[in-house]
Amino acid sequence: MLLQTVLDSLGDGLIVVDNAGRLLIWNAAVENLIGEPPTKLALNQWPEALGLYEPVECKPYPAEQLPMARALRGESCECEILVRTPLTAKSIWIEVTAHPLKDQNANVVGAVTAVRNITQRKISEQEIQRLHDELESRVRQRTVQLEAANKELESFTYSVAHDLRAPLRHIVGFAQILEEDFKPKLEPAAQQYLTRIQQGTRRMGLLVDELLNLAKVGRQPLNLQLVNLAPIAERVIAELAPSQEGREVKWKLGELSWAQCDANLVKQVFQHLISNAIKYTRLRQHTVIEIGKTEAGGHTCIFVRDNGVGFNMKYVGKLFGVFQRLHRNEDFEGTGIGLATVQRIVQKHRGRVWAEGEMDRGATFYFTLKGLEQEPGTQESK
Amino acid sequence: MKAFDAEILLIEDNQDDLDLTLHALKRENLANNILIARDGEEALDFFFCRGSYAERNFDTPPRLVLLDLKLPKVNGIEVLQQVKSDPRTKSIPVVVLTSSKEELDLVRSYNLGANSYIQKPVNFTEFRQTVKHLGLYWLVVNQPAPQGTCEPAGQES
Repeated sequence: MLLQTVLDSLGDGLIVVDNAGRLLIWNAAVENLIGEPPTKLALNQWPEALGLYEPVECKPYPAEQLPMARALRGESCECEILVRTPLTAKSIWIEVTAHPLKDQNANVVGAVTAVRNITQRKISEQEIQRLHDELESRVRQRTVQLEAANKELESFTYSVAHDLRAPLRHIVGFAQILEEDFKPKLEPAAQQYLTRIQQGTRRMGLLVDELLNLAKVGRQPLNLQLVNLAPIAERVIAELAPSQEGREVKWKLGELSWAQCDANLVKQVFQHLISNAIKYTRLRQHTVIEIGKTEAGGHTCIFVRDNGVGFNMKYVGKLFGVFQRLHRNEDFEGTGIGLATVQRIVQKHRGRVWAEGEMDRGATFYFTLKGLEQEPGTQESK
Repeated sequence: MKAFDAEILLIEDNQDDLDLTLHALKRENLANNILIARDGEEALDFFFCRGSYAERNFDTPPRLVLLDLKLPKVNGIEVLQQVKSDPRTKSIPVVVLTSSKEELDLVRSYNLGANSYIQKPVNFTEFRQTVKHLGLYWLVVNQPAPQGTCEPAGQES
């Protein structure tokens, strides 16, 4: 009697059978969950009589796979069962743990099974799964929309920039004809205005070309190859030599890395960063420009550092926006498209670009590329 | 009719582009014998001696055609296609002179048999250089196909 009281006060269900499959214990918790003890039934009749199903496919639970049956074969096991009793209209999920009972000689003399109601947990899990799926599908949907919007914006930029070329060409052409054929007849003030028109068109030409390039960078698919970055940087430095003529520039080109990237685009990144470094150090007696490799946040990154005029970190967020400039055009000429292009290229490579600077103390630009850490291994020898 | 014959046929709808191209050609003394078509239809009438060019003769082709791609009525690509697929006109040198740098336009033009493709540079000095080279090459250096070059039928290799 005492044992029965103890068993019935347990929150979890407990079932014990002997080695012939005869029911010895079926406590109150099990009765609440599944129903009356199947005293007169053999084990293989349990699934049908008690309404036991496989939780995933909802097929009747195979009798020989019942935890109780497995435990009688000497096996310990744990599994989930879906119960649809004819008594309760609702389905419940139970978690069943079964162990064999053995005598001193290790013969199986019975099996003990613990039964726990996990319906609430299952419902929560399903809800979490549903929310997760919904979120996934919403993210996918948004990504598609975003990509479409980006594409549209890029082709808009491209066609606007492209269409602007024609009227620009006309203004440039007629202004030049005016200058060449009619200059002597123009008053000095008129000549001045003509010069201003030509300066304006030159700037606009630059803007249109750079905008076209920015749009092209966005539209082009990446041509990924394993590339050594150092020779690219060296080539860019050599190409930019004319822009630093007559100046004393000390170059510090450290060890760079190999990267799985689009060589043409990454060359553009170096072009913009290095020409910026040359531009913003123009007022220095001794210019030092350093290009190297470092670690940041566990990732390898490349940096370009100069000792130029720098910038106020307050405005660092504006640095990479299209048409955003931190200097007046009279002080340092530029279109405000270069760093936006750099960012676009780096993002296309699933990397990150950022900058550090201090007024009058120089600036450092860093970038990572997704394929930056891939060492070439054997390919280096070729 | 001699009045319809021209050394250069300039196919251009935009008045500004037309004036600038003519200005550049005149400066190089290349505009003495030039004819202008303002849309694709007029250009095709010229090529195929019909409409207001009905009295023109296939035997006196221009030595150079400058073709814009964006044209009203019949666009430049279509003009190119018709001219280059007809044995009576296909040996006439056609140079595409356009604002477009679209790769598709380039590919299409060359596939149809364009003799050259030039994107008009924004810089006017460069544009004049380009027009000068074009004129000198096609009117002076280049040897045009003999007149009446329709190969006899059955002899095409």
